[in-house]
Amino acid sequence: MFSFTYMAKELRRRLGRTILTALGLAAGVGLVIGIIGVSEGLDEAQAQVLAPLGSVGTDILVTRVAGSTTAPTATPTPTPAADQPQQSFGPGGGGFFAGPPGAGRANAANQADTTALLNENNNVVTDLSKLGKPGAKFTHDFFLSATLLSFPQEAVDQIADIPGVTKVTGGLTQLAQHQTGTVPQIVAEITTGGKTVTQTVRPDPMTAEERAAFAACAQKSGGTTQTEPAPSPGAEPRRGGTFFFGPGAAEKCLPKRFQEFRASFITPMETIRQVVNPPSTDITNKSYTAAGIDPASPTVGLVTQTQLTSGHWLRSTNPNEVLANVAYANKNSLKVGSTVAINGTTYTVAGLVNPTLTGNTADLYFPLTSLQKLAGKTGRVTQVLVKAKDSASVDAVAKEIKKLLPGAEVVTTKSLADQVTGSLADAKKVASRLGGALGVIVLIAAFAIAMLLTLSSVAKRVREIGTLRAIGWSKGRVVKQILTETIGIGLLGGAAGIVLGLAAAFAVGAFSPSLSASSNGVPGFASSTLSGLFGQTQAAAHTSTIALKAPVHMTTLAIGVAFAVVGGLLAGTVGGWRAARLSPAEALRNLG
Amino acid sequence: MTTLTNEEIPPMENPSIQKLYELQDVTRVFRTGGGEVRAISDVNLEIYPGELISIEGPSGSGKTTLLQVLGALDKATSGTVRFGETELTEIDDKELTELRARDLGFVFQSFNLIPTLTAAENVEAALVTVAHSKKERRARVDELLEVVGLSERRDHLPTRLSGGEQQRVAIARALANGPRVILADEPTGNLDSETAREVVSVLRKLSTERGVTVIIVTHAEEVARMTERRIRMLDGRMLNGNGDPTWNQ
Repeated sequence: MFSFTYMAKELRRRLGRTILTALGLAAGVGLVIGIIGVSEGLDEAQAQVLAPLGSVGTDILVTRVAGSTTAPTATPTPTPAADQPQQSFGPGGGGFFAGPPGAGRANAANQADTTALLNENNNVVTDLSKLGKPGAKFTHDFFLSATLLSFPQEAVDQIADIPGVTKVTGGLTQLAQHQTGTVPQIVAEITTGGKTVTQTVRPDPMTAEERAAFAACAQKSGGTTQTEPAPSPGAEPRRGGTFFFGPGAAEKCLPKRFQEFRASFITPMETIRQVVNPPSTDITNKSYTAAGIDPASPTVGLVTQTQLTSGHWLRSTNPNEVLANVAYANKNSLKVGSTVAINGTTYTVAGLVNPTLTGNTADLYFPLTSLQKLAGKTGRVTQVLVKAKDSASVDAVAKEIKKLLPGAEVVTTKSLADQVTGSLADAKKVASRLGGALGVIVLIAAFAIAMLLTLSSVAKRVREIGTLRAIGWSKGRVVKQILTETIGIGLLGGAAGIVLGLAAAFAVGAFSPSLSASSNGVPGFASSTLSGLFGQTQAAAHTSTIALKAPVHMTTLAIGVAFAVVGGLLAGTVGGWRAARLSPAEALRNLG
Repeated sequence: MTTLTNEEIPPMENPSIQKLYELQDVTRVFRTGGGEVRAISDVNLEIYPGELISIEGPSGSGKTTLLQVLGALDKATSGTVRFGETELTEIDDKELTELRARDLGFVFQSFNLIPTLTAAENVEAALVTVAHSKKERRARVDELLEVVGLSERRDHLPTRLSGGEQQRVAIARALANGPRVILADEPTGNLDSETAREVVSVLRKLSTERGVTVIIVTHAEEVARMTERRIRMLDGRMLNGNGDPTWNQ
């Protein structure tokens, strides 16, 4: 093609201008690719934050978090003494059956929730003596609800009846404490008493009345009377003094208080049993999270069959199978077929799962009923996962659930997206506003540079254009030639821009700035720690930290190249318009 | 038509021969900031096929403007310019462009070759205006370069060619689509007298052997003397009109 030969030679001749124009466009294109990449990276990061719902085929997550109710009427029952160390504590936390919301009662309600929460986690402070005789070795797994309150499983059936709900399943998430150690000596015996107590007391001197009475008494007993001196109190009657007693007279005649204090006593022997607080023991503690899922619901649940990487899904027929999280399995050398002994029952790892969740990942997934039994929460769940008919009905269903279960924390994927805050949200704002503005400015500048350089090129080529017109080139052909050249530059700029953009994306990936995303009401164990359990009255904000990546997709590259070509087209149009306006006679007259 | 070209027969004495150009009262006025400039005034001129004509005159005498009006590059402000059956003052830019591509060839003082293109490609640049296949174009380029004796220089860039060679490439380009007229504006202005003579010989040969009308603007007496008919311009006016053949020596 002649015009391509001409274009290629022309671009090579005016290499400086070509490179300058192409680089201008490349900067714009690179920036656009980078911005789109970062923006998509942010979208992916957000998707990652929202994955807890999305990846498990769930539109709505229903939980009951401490503090989420305003006035629960179900008062937690005090913990009765349990025969076994695992929970048999009765209903535990409150149900959903809350009274009408009242803002003024919020504090009291939160107080009630806190109590319920403490009750849920009661076996943290369980009586370790029930594990065996003091000194005996024990291994035991305790299951705690952490920040999630459990509620009756009937809620699942209630939600299933709401129109628009296609699938619903319950889940029980528990924080497990795997403890190994020695049953502590928790009672100490102390023996007291059996000692003779003696005491020396110096009584006050006898009063005048007492002395008179004493003298009268002594006289009566046949002793001689002399008023002075008075006998020293507490001293033995003096012998060979001025005063003599008959036998027993002194004892008889002393005032009563002088007689009594002389009695001594022996304290009684006694043994006291006292509870030692705190018991000292060598217990080691490992915690893991356990989730109960319905084996009959492989598509909706805390983990789904699509996340299974090896082995097979839980079978309803075998209550002693578990699924292990790949990460947990690797750490603990578990594989398909491995066994895990928990509180006297041996569980077989049926399969490994790789949940992409960031918020609700559990380490071991049990059949719901098995975990309910282990945790002593028969008939109770901590989550209800709901799949709506379509995305349009999600909000309506969520509203229905809130009406049905007033104490429920109802989270939808959309509400979660709206609530995402933190540097991720900030970065998204920055990317969309500043990045967008910057991209527009740089693109406009690049386009302007391309247009100006093309105009100057046309001005320099007036004689050439005049000659071409003279030898029979039409205006259209001249414009087409200039467009071919500028689009050629655009493509070069696009190619260089792709390199720049990829480099920028790579730099972002290599830097991998961490972004935090906080969203209120994403209940899960990521936000709950044992230390935070007590006194926790508010739903914890779930914060995820995500490393930002800037993925560059083919479409992004295409968009970048399209921008460069548009820049070339604009420049060519402007230059071509200028060239077409040129009168060939004038062009040749001035410079020919 | 080549046979009709005969030095012995003056144009006016052969009214039966179809005129190639017929200019009547052609005036070209340029509007500039300082007022109007009459580049050419009331030019009456008839040109017959195969003529070899020179237009002489000092700078600013209007000879280049006359050549551009003849070359369909510029339009007369008033008067009529008939080219064959076509009135050039009445057709639009598109038709003028087509006319230039098909019937006219240009040769310039400074050659005006496209600097990035080789000799062959410069010739090809004129061929692309008329629908030819690439193969046809290549064959035609070889043929034209053969005519001007530059076959062995076909892949050289203009900067690698001498002035005479460049002008011969320009002539080959002007001949590309088989024009009826070649308009040369000071074709020897940038050449030494030896080379100038060669170039004019080539143009003369085109006229005599191929019947191409050649119109040369020049102020070189030596060049003008090689032509059959000399037209003199001064201050936009032709000093010797159609009826004054005395200039033809």
